[in-house]
Amino acid sequence: MSQPLGINRVEASDAELVRRVRTGDIGAYGALVARYRDRLGRYAVHMLGDREDAEEALQDSFVRAYRSLERCDDPARFGAWLYGILVNRCRTSGARAARRRRMFVRDVDALHGATHADQADRVEWSDEVNRALARLAPEYREAFLLKHVEDLEYEEMVRLTGAGVSALKMRVKRAREQLQKFLKEAEHV
Amino acid sequence: MFDRDDDIVERVVRQLRQPVSIDPALDARVLKQIADGPARPVAAPRSRFQWRRWPWLAAAAVLGAILVARPWTAGNDTAASSAFQFVLVAPQASTVALVGDFNDWDPARSPMQTAQGVWATTVPLAPGRYRYAFLVNGVEWRADPGAPRARDDEFGTPSSVITVGGNGS
Repeated sequence: MSQPLGINRVEASDAELVRRVRTGDIGAYGALVARYRDRLGRYAVHMLGDREDAEEALQDSFVRAYRSLERCDDPARFGAWLYGILVNRCRTSGARAARRRRMFVRDVDALHGATHADQADRVEWSDEVNRALARLAPEYREAFLLKHVEDLEYEEMVRLTGAGVSALKMRVKRAREQLQKFLKEAEHV
Repeated sequence: MFDRDDDIVERVVRQLRQPVSIDPALDARVLKQIADGPARPVAAPRSRFQWRRWPWLAAAAVLGAILVARPWTAGNDTAASSAFQFVLVAPQASTVALVGDFNDWDPARSPMQTAQGVWATTVPLAPGRYRYAFLVNGVEWRADPGAPRARDDEFGTPSSVITVGGNGS
């Protein structure tokens, strides 16, 4: 059903929702969680390579953000502030995951269940990308995702990661080179 | 398959930029953990009242309700009241009101405010036992699935029970 003319859906801004949370409105925080769930979830899933770990990191980040909301100096940039918490949380979680040596096998069933060649190709490509991404060193993977997938400027990446611009550029460059290498190897297997 | 190295990276980026859908039930889990956990300072308590302690939680579910209590003292009154925030996650609802013994079951007195499907309102409650329900879209009575159901509801509609102790819990 089409929306009547002259009626626009108006959503509360981040700043307004943060203000309401600070006065005790937990429902407003639910709205912020809903707003950023998928956006931040994508980073966590790619960074950690495991959906369960990603959701755990995401939930923990939302809770940490709520408990330290008074430290969010610019409520209009709540999303960027929350991003920083998630990036740090993924580093911790990523270290734990590395110790467990968990490998990426998520799409194997989907591959076997694919009915069309084109669909199978897409699933296979997705698996190859995930495996290549998982082989990157965490700091390379982090830099690559922030720069190319989340489309952040280097200045913002500096704020999120604590690394310098030149170091980040080097990490992105190495990540690109290694992804190319890994995926070419996969092509010839 | 690949003509240039950059093509590989571009394809990787396109693949990784595909939207990722996270289980919406995560929202309720976050809110429950928040309400279960330690206090976060509240910036602007209402006048007349002073915050003393932080919330406890009754229950949470994806389409259920979350009940948060924030005890306070009421000015110079000797009897302590407690502020209870009721939260209902109901993305499809167009209006939700909290009704109960504490507001004479009048939907106009406790309309709930929404932010992306999460409805909330706060009411002060003195110690006692109260029946309550959510009135969705003005017609649908919904009990709080995370709270005890009222067994003595003479009106035949679903309702829940909250008991406020003398210490505001």
